[in-house]
Amino acid sequence: MKCERDWLRIAVTSVALSGVLLAGCKTSNDAAAAASQMAATSLQLSSYYKALQTTFQETDELYQLNERLYAKPYTPENQQLLKKNEAELAKRAKLATDLSSLSESFGALSASTVPSSAASAASQVESDVDKLAPLKPSSTEQDALKLAVQQLATAIQAHKEREAAKAMESAAQSLSDLFAKETDIWNSTEEVYSQIAANLAANLVDANVTDNSAVLNVALTPFGLVRNSSMGDMNEKLVPVAKQQIATKKTAMDDSYRSATEAMAKALAQMAQRIQTLAAGKPMTERRSPLSLATVQQWVTQVSSVANTLVPASGASASPAKSGSGKAK
Amino acid sequence: MANALDTVQATFLNLDGQYNLLLAACRTQADRDALSARYSAAETAFNQCVGQMLADDDPTVAALCTQLTTINNKVAALTTQMGDMSKVLTVLDQALKLGQQVMACRP
Repeated sequence: MKCERDWLRIAVTSVALSGVLLAGCKTSNDAAAAASQMAATSLQLSSYYKALQTTFQETDELYQLNERLYAKPYTPENQQLLKKNEAELAKRAKLATDLSSLSESFGALSASTVPSSAASAASQVESDVDKLAPLKPSSTEQDALKLAVQQLATAIQAHKEREAAKAMESAAQSLSDLFAKETDIWNSTEEVYSQIAANLAANLVDANVTDNSAVLNVALTPFGLVRNSSMGDMNEKLVPVAKQQIATKKTAMDDSYRSATEAMAKALAQMAQRIQTLAAGKPMTERRSPLSLATVQQWVTQVSSVANTLVPASGASASPAKSGSGKAK
Repeated sequence: MANALDTVQATFLNLDGQYNLLLAACRTQADRDALSARYSAAETAFNQCVGQMLADDDPTVAALCTQLTTINNKVAALTTQMGDMSKVLTVLDQALKLGQQVMACRP
């Protein structure tokens, strides 16, 4: 698929990134700073993908709950499709992690010696690229790109920075462009996760199996008061408020994710701009990683903190849905 | 222009949001099975669509997405037709068929 081919191209060009930095910048300090920033940006990209993976796992649990509670079918086929898409995210997360390691290795590179860690990191990225396109293992494009990765790794290990640089002119820009290209896909999966969760939460509120009294905290907590355990018919009266809270928080979840995605795209674009400056032989004045990475981290932390409070639904962490008969009763 | 993935997603989420009411309105097991099958099909279509990179700039895809958006408006209001489950299933079939056609246009 074109999408995967684009990822392969990015991997190829990213491997050459540090080589370009070393070849193009005027001082080793510039190269080290750029490599460090690229490492931080790649690592945050990996965290972004891993957090998205968490939403896939929670979506899987939601589907299983829906099947058990409301007879919404969750077939083994659909579970496999969900897992397959999650696996693609995992590959991207690993590639981003390994690119970060590679960038760090080059950040520590002296003018005359290639650390063994750099060779190892280059080899690892090659392996990641190899795994990214399992659908068309014999395609001409994949073979060509795999060869290119090998050539780049060889050039880097042989200190042929200029050769690597030739293949790297638009590397950072490609990374930025590709992230933007896939944004719609991941946006969609996040929206499905949040909407399925919100629908299920609303159904549970309707079924009167929730304690809605938590919405009273806004009135009670400032005065040091706590809710009475005996709520009478208050729980039912609070149903509209509870549902409004679900809708509000669902919107907040979506907004937070979109902000993180925009911030990630902005960080990648900034890195692309800085690297273009360096490749043009100009000094790099910026010494900090893109500031927008903090917004990405905020969302990642938010997803992690929610996930950490969850106990997997009974059997939810087990293997594929066993009861997905497609029969509603 | 409507995004291909968005339109397929909308079919699934619209159905998910109304599923409990529609299921309760089914009078026969055959209707329940038919509704259940369409729910699975809508979910499958979405999951498959995520796994593909659709060519949204393809005029054929754009035209199909426009049609699917129109049908999705009917899917969003399925509970207003709960009294006639055959109409509900017909609308769902139209949406699912268009979704399949959209995905068949993958490059």
